[in-house]
Amino acid sequence: MDVTEHIKPPRAVFAPFMMGHHFGVPRHKELQRRIILEMLDFLTTATRSGEVKMLPLKWANARQEGKEIERRLELKEV
Amino acid sequence: MENSKNENNSSQIRPGLWATVNERYPGSMITKTDFVPLARLKKPLSESRLTFVSTAGVQPKNSLPFDTVHPVGDYTFRRVPSDSKPADLEIHQLKYPTVGAKKDLNVIFPIERLQELADEKIIGGLTTNFFSFIGYNMDALKLEQALAEDIADAVEAEKPDAALLAPA
Repeated sequence: MDVTEHIKPPRAVFAPFMMGHHFGVPRHKELQRRIILEMLDFLTTATRSGEVKMLPLKWANARQEGKEIERRLELKEV
Repeated sequence: MENSKNENNSSQIRPGLWATVNERYPGSMITKTDFVPLARLKKPLSESRLTFVSTAGVQPKNSLPFDTVHPVGDYTFRRVPSDSKPADLEIHQLKYPTVGAKKDLNVIFPIERLQELADEKIIGGLTTNFFSFIGYNMDALKLEQALAEDIADAVEAEKPDAALLAPA
């Protein structure tokens, strides 16, 4: 976020996630897809250059959901 | 006036950090004072070809690894075929946690999700290649005037209608 504010890209979408995990958590396809769709949506809905769209997501929730998904998938694999 | 207003309303997580780093390492952090004009999509999304540019240091296996230990960085980029499978790719980058990416590359380089969106015709298609480089580059001027220009030329050659850029 600090960097984005300084380099002023025309459009930016910010997810408050851990470094190295900007599209979410492992195996959480729905979340990964949602973040891309939010970026694509902003291509057409941004009204002024420099606008940053903050996504209403929480890292703690993403991690929790990811753990649930991994637990379910591992159960299936057994 | 506008600048001071922006400073006051800044959502900086670590206010003042930028100035501190630039004081210690002059010119190392790029600051732009102007916004570039907003370019509009010329076609509907479902007809637009998309490309993806990432600082994740993702590259095809058997391509020349990024120099992750060079003191001032590696100013080269790699083309990543957009039809690659995660198993065809590897990460050469030391500066961000890859704990998630090692389990599922899509958390930082969502190549499978982009392929799915193209298959479902939500987007018109993908460029033949995506583009990747490493974010550890201490010479901001070289990054901007050499690497960024090289990537821009390579992206432009593939004629995308839109580009998604993602840091790592």
